[in-house]
Amino acid sequence: MKKIILLIAVLSLSANSYALIQKIEVLGMVCAFCAQGIEKSFSATDSVNDVYVSLENYFVAIESKDGLDNKFITKVISDAGYDVRKIENFSGTMNQIRIENEK
Amino acid sequence: MFCMLVTKSMSKLYFIFIFLLVAHQSIVHAAPMSFKGSTTNMTELRKDYFSLESSYASSIKESFGVKTVKAKGDGYDITSGEIFYLRKLMRKNTINSQANLWLFTGAGFIDIKKNNIKEHYIYLSPTLQFDYETKRIYGMISHQVLRAGHENFDVTKIEGGFSFYEAGYNEIQPWFILKTKNINSLNNKIKYTPTFRIINKSIFMDTGVSTDGDASFHLMYTF
Repeated sequence: MKKIILLIAVLSLSANSYALIQKIEVLGMVCAFCAQGIEKSFSATDSVNDVYVSLENYFVAIESKDGLDNKFITKVISDAGYDVRKIENFSGTMNQIRIENEK
Repeated sequence: MFCMLVTKSMSKLYFIFIFLLVAHQSIVHAAPMSFKGSTTNMTELRKDYFSLESSYASSIKESFGVKTVKAKGDGYDITSGEIFYLRKLMRKNTINSQANLWLFTGAGFIDIKKNNIKEHYIYLSPTLQFDYETKRIYGMISHQVLRAGHENFDVTKIEGGFSFYEAGYNEIQPWFILKTKNINSLNNKIKYTPTFRIINKSIFMDTGVSTDGDASFHLMYTF
């Protein structure tokens, strides 16, 4: 039983290791009611697993299978009315981002 | 002739319009338009004023819509219906603020009743609106030019307020907003409405009572 649990844990870790997290600093994102357009657009993208929006620290984090093209990210953000300041890869997990942002 | 037909069937049109608004999934929003591909529905309901509008954003800078207004005051009773084109002339995003300049161009009909005299006009009406918002401060000013025959129904609005605290994306944020509005001919004084606003990512709700005791309620929900 322990071996099965260990195997499942290893498999799930290796599956997560292929996911890429991108952190995007967004200009003009001041209201949750307005910013939900960004969340909806990225959530509707096939390869995206998770989206996290931080109004406090002005960023959006996206977890996707292979990472999204920067041009695509910029287009989605600008179609929602905002501007991209910076896009960077994040080496941790989405949970780490959530915990750090909500401290 | 077209105006007459539309006016006679106005009550039916209201029901059809309201049905269409609630029958499809849409984004409702406080700003005049939302993101590309979104539908924005807005309504304002008071004792002597009712407006309803719906628009579709074909791009991040343009949207097309329809709007109807029913208003009373100073012996006037007006009903109007229009199609409008909305253009975002300017958007300035900074890390903690956004500012927008909008131009509405509306074309429609207006039905004016005063002293048992009824008149119909077709009008062209531009509106210029500027708004500025941070996570703690909000301000908006708009002016609509609306002339029909010899009548002047220009509308001026100024709104400003603050949030009680900064909120996260999944939290509820309360605001205090003071709304002022004047419609030429319908009321010769500025109407002041202190308003309590609640925003979260799905709900946008305004509740206010004007200094004349006229209550207003505004609820928007994102599907």
